[in-house]
Amino acid sequence: MKSQRILADFFRRSWPVYVLSITFHLVSNMINVFYPKVLGAFTDKLAGGELTRGLVVDYSLQLLAIGIASVVFSGIAMYLVMYVGRTFERGVRGLLFRHFTRMGERFYAKNGVGKLLSYFMNDVTAVRESIAMGINQTANATMLLLSAMTMMIISGIPLYLIGACVFPLLLIPFIVVYLGPIIRQRSLHVQEALGKMTETAEEQFGGIRVTKKFAVEPIMNRRFGQTVDDIRAAQLRLVRVSSFFQALVPFLGTIALIIALAFGGYLTIAGRLSLGNFVALTLYVRMLMTPLQQIGNVINSIQRSRASLERLNGLLSQSPDIVESDAATEADLSDCAIEIDHLTFAYSPSSEPVLKDVSVRIEPGATLGIIGRTGSGKTTLMKLLLRIYDPPPGTIRFGGEDVRELTLESLRGQIGYVPQDGFLFSTTIRENIAFSDRTAVMGSIEDAARQAQIHANIDELPERFETKLGERGLTLSGGQRQRTSLARGLIKRASVMILDDSVSAVDAVTEKDIIDSIRRERHNKTTIIIAHRISAIKHADEIIVLDDGEIVQRGTHRELLEQPGLYADLHAIQEEGSLHATGTSDS
Amino acid sequence: MRPAQAIHNWQADHKGDHGGQEEKPQYISAFKALSGYVKPHRWALAGVMACTVVAILSELLQPYLMKIAIDDNLLAGKNDFRGLLLICAVYLGLSVSSFIFAYLQNNLLQQVGQSIVARIRKQLFGHIMKQSMGYFDRMSSGSLITHVSSDTEALNQFFSQVLLSLFRDGLTILFILVLMFQLDTTLALYCLVLLPVIFLIAIAFRSFMRATYQLARTRLSRMVAFVAENLSGMGLVQAFHQQKEQQRQFDERNGLYFRANLREIRTNVLFGRTFDILSNLAIALVTWIGGMAVLGKQLEFGVLYAFITYIRQFFQPINTITQQWNTLQSATVAISRIWTIFGTEPEITDKTEETPRSAERSVTRKQMTLTTERSQGVSEEAHSFGSVRGEIDFEHISFSYEEGIPIIQGLDLHIEPGEMIGVVGTTGAGKSSLISLLCRFYDVKEGSIRIDGTDVRDIPQATLHRLIGLVQQEPYLYSGSIVDNVRMFDDSISREDVIRACEFVGADGIIRKLPDGYNTLLSERGSGLSAGERQLISFARIIVFKPKVLILDEASANLDSQTEQLIQNALNVVSKQRTTIVIAHRLSTIMQADRIIVMSHGEIVEQGSHQELIELGGQYRELYEHSQGQQAG
Repeated sequence: MKSQRILADFFRRSWPVYVLSITFHLVSNMINVFYPKVLGAFTDKLAGGELTRGLVVDYSLQLLAIGIASVVFSGIAMYLVMYVGRTFERGVRGLLFRHFTRMGERFYAKNGVGKLLSYFMNDVTAVRESIAMGINQTANATMLLLSAMTMMIISGIPLYLIGACVFPLLLIPFIVVYLGPIIRQRSLHVQEALGKMTETAEEQFGGIRVTKKFAVEPIMNRRFGQTVDDIRAAQLRLVRVSSFFQALVPFLGTIALIIALAFGGYLTIAGRLSLGNFVALTLYVRMLMTPLQQIGNVINSIQRSRASLERLNGLLSQSPDIVESDAATEADLSDCAIEIDHLTFAYSPSSEPVLKDVSVRIEPGATLGIIGRTGSGKTTLMKLLLRIYDPPPGTIRFGGEDVRELTLESLRGQIGYVPQDGFLFSTTIRENIAFSDRTAVMGSIEDAARQAQIHANIDELPERFETKLGERGLTLSGGQRQRTSLARGLIKRASVMILDDSVSAVDAVTEKDIIDSIRRERHNKTTIIIAHRISAIKHADEIIVLDDGEIVQRGTHRELLEQPGLYADLHAIQEEGSLHATGTSDS
Repeated sequence: MRPAQAIHNWQADHKGDHGGQEEKPQYISAFKALSGYVKPHRWALAGVMACTVVAILSELLQPYLMKIAIDDNLLAGKNDFRGLLLICAVYLGLSVSSFIFAYLQNNLLQQVGQSIVARIRKQLFGHIMKQSMGYFDRMSSGSLITHVSSDTEALNQFFSQVLLSLFRDGLTILFILVLMFQLDTTLALYCLVLLPVIFLIAIAFRSFMRATYQLARTRLSRMVAFVAENLSGMGLVQAFHQQKEQQRQFDERNGLYFRANLREIRTNVLFGRTFDILSNLAIALVTWIGGMAVLGKQLEFGVLYAFITYIRQFFQPINTITQQWNTLQSATVAISRIWTIFGTEPEITDKTEETPRSAERSVTRKQMTLTTERSQGVSEEAHSFGSVRGEIDFEHISFSYEEGIPIIQGLDLHIEPGEMIGVVGTTGAGKSSLISLLCRFYDVKEGSIRIDGTDVRDIPQATLHRLIGLVQQEPYLYSGSIVDNVRMFDDSISREDVIRACEFVGADGIIRKLPDGYNTLLSERGSGLSAGERQLISFARIIVFKPKVLILDEASANLDSQTEQLIQNALNVVSKQRTTIVIAHRLSTIMQADRIIVMSHGEIVEQGSHQELIELGGQYRELYEHSQGQQAG
């Protein structure tokens, strides 16, 4: 992948907009600086006694024209920059999302959802702010500064006077740059303290039953009170700096004005400065205060966003683990054997292998059962079959073709996968089941739901298949989620199906029904079932027992029961357990 | 906005959609309520007001001083530089004092505001904690959290922003008006006409802006929620090869957010510029009217200069004040929500006077004295209920959550001290309700529940709750160390006691293997420990707090065989010498119980030992055979 330079790319495309916007800013400010000049001229005419009715009207209209024109131009200039800023934001977020869809599990394991979301939200926003608001304010401030200086010089205000008056104002950006980060730091502390309080409240209300049962409400009130006091302390700490800052900036402004008044007034009295120019000078000083403060803000925001930009560029330049080979071929899994040939796999070169010398051959249409303890490598094996991780070359073959030489689309498109956790999206049940093909007809969705033994539950819901799930909708129980996820896998009627401990949260009776319907549906189609419970796999054509990454036993249910070993042990434990199987039903 | 915040907003917004959204702010009642909290700080607030006046003086008087300088010195042609210097000195003095007082004012106001908000936060939390369980069952914990964090935060913003702005900007506007009238009444009257127009435009724009802001916020949150979900489920998306479809859905949301943003930008720019144009219009107007007056010599030029400056100064505070309008509205709504909670009294309360019935009983008298001790500290009651035997009587109790839908009807049950009772029955049979009633999370409608002959309604709740221990299906852990989780943050329980309890239930070995041993910090929901290990910690709590009656809501989750064994042992340990009630989801745990109770539709349909019930051939036997059959099939 080419090295990512999102900002350079963006400016290459959008520089005309910026040029246009800066031009408008310039025009607006050039018009705007006439305002003190007009008032100055008005004053001089008045002092000279040359003012007439017509001139008063003229000056008023001039002021009005200046006011409207400068505002209109600056409005357009601002809008343009903010507009392209938002297109930048939209574009980068689109890029990021596309990047996310390409990255593999290793990437997610390393980064975590929270961190990625913060790239997606905070970093993009920070960069956008500095290229939109930042450029706007810098352009506006510099243009204003330039035009005001020029105007003052043209009007014949002495340079040393201008210098003396503007000097205190020039301190403002430095103060902002110095105090800005401190204020930001402290306000982050306030945010953190607030977050902590919310967390504590969340925890307390979640565990209210326990708190009440142990009658420790006063202790919990105290714990909560502590977080409240922390907020207050953080807030007051923030106020001490921020109010100092808020008072300091106008103070420097008044100092500049006092200099203008004293020095300018002296020159006026001495006759070296016209009254009109004196009036204009005081007005210019007032005009410059805000833009100078903004420049300080911009410097701060650019500093923050530079780090963000680096993070984003770094993120986007990472390449995905799994890359289709150039000569990838379309696979046809409908009637092919799956071979796993002396597969040894470790997640990273330095770590212990999770799978050691695993060899299995699954005949077309056969059912393979895999059983083993947590961490024995069952799920890793499935991920390698789906090429979520790359197996060593030649160790996994579909119909004789190395899995690494197949297109991902054809491979994953023909495998129905039902993961263990039953992850569902916050959308309707229908869309969740029809995840592999959103246009699936209702009939096939209902069939899949029936096979997964979830149809009856869905039927009871007021909006049936259109019921929304997740945060804004219904929360399903663990067993219901697993069964919905199962329906999502079944609807594909894929040539190969992988069930990764997909019925662990359903009760024994339902489990049996599901296994029966899978056996019917998957008759003569390749199926791999991973389970903790023997009852889910005992019908398989072959069962392998994984322990610590190795196949320790293999055979049919009957064969395995006859030999001493892990399988027989597990069977003994589980039989005993199911003697007292559940008296109440799941959900 | 942080991602979590964005998602939270989205949920909050969405919740609002259902219920009585758009609560009308009730200003008068809200501020009446608040005034009780403000009263103790009235002198401080008067101080703030005084500081404000000094703070805004230099900004206010600057045009006026300029006017004097222009009219009396410069234009008068007196060449009086000393007079000018005097004005400068006054101005400098004013600006230094305003620098100091602006700083003081802000700090003082925050001091007051933060104290009030902190007090309300603590009281609100305490008030919610006082509510009975029925309240928590009705209210979603999400909305309670919103009250405690967001609503009080809105209140905080009221103090730190609205009040500040009302003080500073309100006074500024007022003083500018006064000064304008001081300078020239006619011109001031003209300007006064503008005032309502400006306000109206500002407020109209603000509410429009609020709507566009809300739209953008909702769409942003929706997009972030979508991304968050897809990031968590990316493995699935890839396994199903749905990247393109998800990308399309994302682009759709991204585009919607983009359009909402553009709308927001347009509104903002339009508003800002309109306001600027208005301000410029006002200046042109003043120049025209004032210019004519200067021409006719009714007005000095310095006055005109001051007017023009004042007009400019005028717009800024109006802008800030109208900015506060939205904050004010949400703060008012927040206040009334908070006070609604304050107005909710707990449904279940302790009896205040000693009833004759309870007075007869030694247990109760002891418990009553415990209550008085309680007020000094939770821990002092020494966790000994020495004389309580743990005999429980359910006497013909009836109960329903809603009128007309009875959950339990006329149930009688006598439990001997130290007996172990297993309760089985289908979902909805009333098992959990029975437990809630015994813990007095709810009150019975008819009949009575007695412990050692004392009605639970006559026992102070705190005592009752300590008397009965409950181990939930899903053990709840707090963020904090393991030691604190076992002793429920009660410092009066020693670390040694905690360790002994953990040894007792067999958790010691597991805990010592953790990186920080007993100091290992657990987070919410106890991540880092398996379900079984969390359950062991909740058993250790029981050992430490020594309740006389133990209720166990048995975990139904699939635990691996080894942990299950650990838990079974722990249960045997904790149920010793305690009256124990086990709500069973699997029959294996309760087969050894002294007595098994089969519940159905709020009634006890069968009871007896395992053997007796099997011989009876009723529901229990059916359940038992069902589980047996499963194994055969």
